[in-house]
Amino acid sequence: MTSPIKFTRRAALAGLSVKAERPIAGGFVFESENAGHAIRDRRMPLPAGPPQKKHTVIVGGGIGGLSAGWWLRRQGFTDFVLLEMESSAGGNSRSGGNDVSRYPWAAHYVPVPNKESVYVRELFTELGLLVDGEWDERWLCHTPRERLFLHGRWQDGIEPELGLTAEDHRQFRAFAGRIAELRATRQFTIPMAIGAPAQSPLDTLSFKDWLRRNGFTSPYLHWLVDYSTRDDFGAAASETSAWAGIHYFAAREAEENGPLTWPEGNGWIASRLIGKLAGHIQTGEPAIHIAKAGVKWRVHTPKRTWEADRVIYAAPAYLLPYLDPTVPPVREMQWSPWLVANLTLDRLPAEKGLEPAWDNVIYGSPSLGYVVATHQSVRTHIDKTVWTYYYALAGRDPKTARHELLSTDWGTWRERILDDLSRAHKDIRACVSRIDIFRNGHAMVRPSPGFLSNPARLGWVRGRERFHYASADASGFSLFEEAQYRGILAAGKA
Amino acid sequence: MAIVFFLSVFLIAACGLIYELIAGALASYLLGDSILQFSTVIGAYLFAMGIGSWLSKYIDKGLVHRFITIELMVGLVGGFSSSILFLAFAYTDAFRLILYSLVLLIGILVGLEIPLLMRILKERFHFQELVANVLTFDYLGALGASLLFPLVLVPKLGMVRSALLFGLVNAGVALWSTWIFQKQIGPVRRLRLVAIAVIAALGAGMVLADRITDAADASLYADDVILSRNTRYQRIVVTRWKDDVRLFLNSHLQFSSRDEYRYHEALVHPGLAAVRTPRNVLVLGGGDGLAVREILRYPAVESVTLVDLDPGMTDLFTSHAMLRSLNGDAFHSHKVRVINADAFPWLEENPAQFDFVVIDFPDPTNFSLGKLYTTAFYRLLKRHLKPESLVAVQSTSPLFARQSFWCIHETIRAAGLNAWPYHVYVPSFGEWGFILAGRGQYERPKIPDGLKYLTQTTLESLFHFPADMAAVPAEPNRLNDQALVRYYDKEWRDFSH
Repeated sequence: MTSPIKFTRRAALAGLSVKAERPIAGGFVFESENAGHAIRDRRMPLPAGPPQKKHTVIVGGGIGGLSAGWWLRRQGFTDFVLLEMESSAGGNSRSGGNDVSRYPWAAHYVPVPNKESVYVRELFTELGLLVDGEWDERWLCHTPRERLFLHGRWQDGIEPELGLTAEDHRQFRAFAGRIAELRATRQFTIPMAIGAPAQSPLDTLSFKDWLRRNGFTSPYLHWLVDYSTRDDFGAAASETSAWAGIHYFAAREAEENGPLTWPEGNGWIASRLIGKLAGHIQTGEPAIHIAKAGVKWRVHTPKRTWEADRVIYAAPAYLLPYLDPTVPPVREMQWSPWLVANLTLDRLPAEKGLEPAWDNVIYGSPSLGYVVATHQSVRTHIDKTVWTYYYALAGRDPKTARHELLSTDWGTWRERILDDLSRAHKDIRACVSRIDIFRNGHAMVRPSPGFLSNPARLGWVRGRERFHYASADASGFSLFEEAQYRGILAAGKA
Repeated sequence: MAIVFFLSVFLIAACGLIYELIAGALASYLLGDSILQFSTVIGAYLFAMGIGSWLSKYIDKGLVHRFITIELMVGLVGGFSSSILFLAFAYTDAFRLILYSLVLLIGILVGLEIPLLMRILKERFHFQELVANVLTFDYLGALGASLLFPLVLVPKLGMVRSALLFGLVNAGVALWSTWIFQKQIGPVRRLRLVAIAVIAALGAGMVLADRITDAADASLYADDVILSRNTRYQRIVVTRWKDDVRLFLNSHLQFSSRDEYRYHEALVHPGLAAVRTPRNVLVLGGGDGLAVREILRYPAVESVTLVDLDPGMTDLFTSHAMLRSLNGDAFHSHKVRVINADAFPWLEENPAQFDFVVIDFPDPTNFSLGKLYTTAFYRLLKRHLKPESLVAVQSTSPLFARQSFWCIHETIRAAGLNAWPYHVYVPSFGEWGFILAGRGQYERPKIPDGLKYLTQTTLESLFHFPADMAAVPAEPNRLNDQALVRYYDKEWRDFSH
């Protein structure tokens, strides 16, 4: 029961005071690159003892490996083991949590899958997300979904609207028209393997060059496009194949407002897949050496040797040359370095205008903005939260960017993050009690121009004898749907 | 010595500008339309300063004495200007008259200051130097004030204290002038005493500033505020005028004791009377216990579970003598269990089923509250219902927020429940709407005797919707597409403009 009368005088008088600086806790998490580097430098001794036998060994517990295992179990096949380097599986769908909220450490959503994404729909039906053709509203992204901080205030939605000229608007409409035409060619699908041509003129130039050649000059449109490629590929539009960039816009035609998202992001899916694979997953057991032994494969870990008829390789492709010296180093493909920070807020910053959305983006920021982990909560009163802040180190050579990512200390990153957020939230420093940072040097494979016909990628698609690649690397860009598809394809071959 | 004179100019100029800014800011803040308010206040103020400058030629004796007197007057009037304006807005209908009178008065006094001071100082400096220096410090003072006002004064001190602080500065300049111009004025004891009295008055104002804003605030509620409390969730205010007790949450009226029986009888009885054996009843929201009072009329009811977020509310309606009497001591009944929790997660975590449910949530004014009116919420609720259970949902006004009301109706139906909408007239609210929902069918029950409003004949009329409240098409409200909050926002905005 409510009357519409409002008195806001007191609110306007108060709430303006500036709070003093406060100490902020936190540090780097998942500092496993030492284990990775030990493998790279072949510093780990090989295990002694007789080999343990399994029909199939899955190397790597990201979405690709977990999906391969899920598919094998669905076929009633149980003679397999999944080896995971970290203390828990999940890969780019890992998550964490504290007493305020669960939160993601990487991917945090899956768009509502198209009809052609049959395996994703099958998994989501099994997980109870799709019942009788209807999506579970509980995990569809709640209103309001996105907002953009532009020209000093928040606007609804991520496509810039404030301060656009008539010409900007015309270009946005023309861009949507071009995308619709390209969508109609049906070559932009998810999974990409269904529609992708062996080569395409669109794959010979960068997305930025394609925009220029098509007469798209609006800075707002260029920002949106660059934001999108940084978000999905960790690469600037100038570093992304136009084919992949167009795929981002043309491949999805949602039947329902989405995406699907959870407080812990795709960790929600990963933990359910892990639950289904109980007894098959060996954590803390990295493959350190893989070699052919007659008609069998031998996978060595620090603990033991596994002997298998087939290997499903679901770890990053750039690692394989260090595990199997017969494989030449990958020079043609690149991986994007990323930073993910989880900020714990023990009070919420003052808001004027729009309510906080799920995804909150700052125009012109080098970051990708932040996602509110408590957004999917159904509580009406929330006074503490966790923000997951994403930052793709794009726009420069990945090796240089990776060095910058790993050589910058926590305190400097903390200040950069807070400075960035304070553009939109002046009082952010008074709200944050903790910042944990995940530095991921090789977060995702990059679809650079030429990736469609890239020989390294095509090699991963083909696989080797009784050795199948099962990660999004084979698709050339890292999406949940791609990783799952490659995992299932590999399991089918096994 | 020169620097002391010019520091005075600097301070006087700063004070003058502060009073102008305060008048402009308060006017735009209380009346809206900041362009109009600032333009007219600045115009009136500058014009008044012109009058002051012109008047200064009529002062030819006792310049220093006059100057100090004027300083004290500016300090007093300017210092209390924002207090006067706040109270004028709260207690009088003549805010604009008082505003422009104050602006003119302060402007005239400030306009007198600099010409007088220049004439006082003209003996000590070359005219060329004097004009240059006085104007330099005059403009510097204006710059200082204009930066200080938005960055420090308003955020740290607020309007009332800022004005008082600068009143003290004026009075301070007056007091020290009695020393620096001592030779020119002769006996100064009386003047100093007056200055000290003015300083004391302004100092007292600084101490009492909070009471001044409170006094202004209290008057916004038409009646006597008998209780006001800030909880973690909201500000609770209870007012009384004669026998009318009103509850406000965050300044939104929740009920008036004169007509709340209409609302609560209509909320509870059409549904509850139709449930054959209503043993277990759930109330979501309704922390005032007024719906529980109506529920406890049914002897068949064995337990009432009330889930309300704010313990501040339920504690108040459990312990405050007058409020307890309103709900008939409902929270002291052994049948009633009060749980302070957020309703949606509480329903997710508790499996119990109920025979009758009352949902009395705040209107869907934002996306957080809008979640409590979604298909997801009603589907969850359905799991807590038996086949013959009924739910009564407060559903905002079908007259003022027509599409919102029918959106809630549509949402309940989309969740797979049957729905029977009805409405009642509550004088302090206007037309108000409810929706009965259930898994089975609904037939008009026999209404219990002894109610103040609802009778068998009235019951039938509640379910008829006149043409101006009749059903309109609306999208169901979903977590991932909250149509209701959009409708509601638009409708109440259109209504209040």
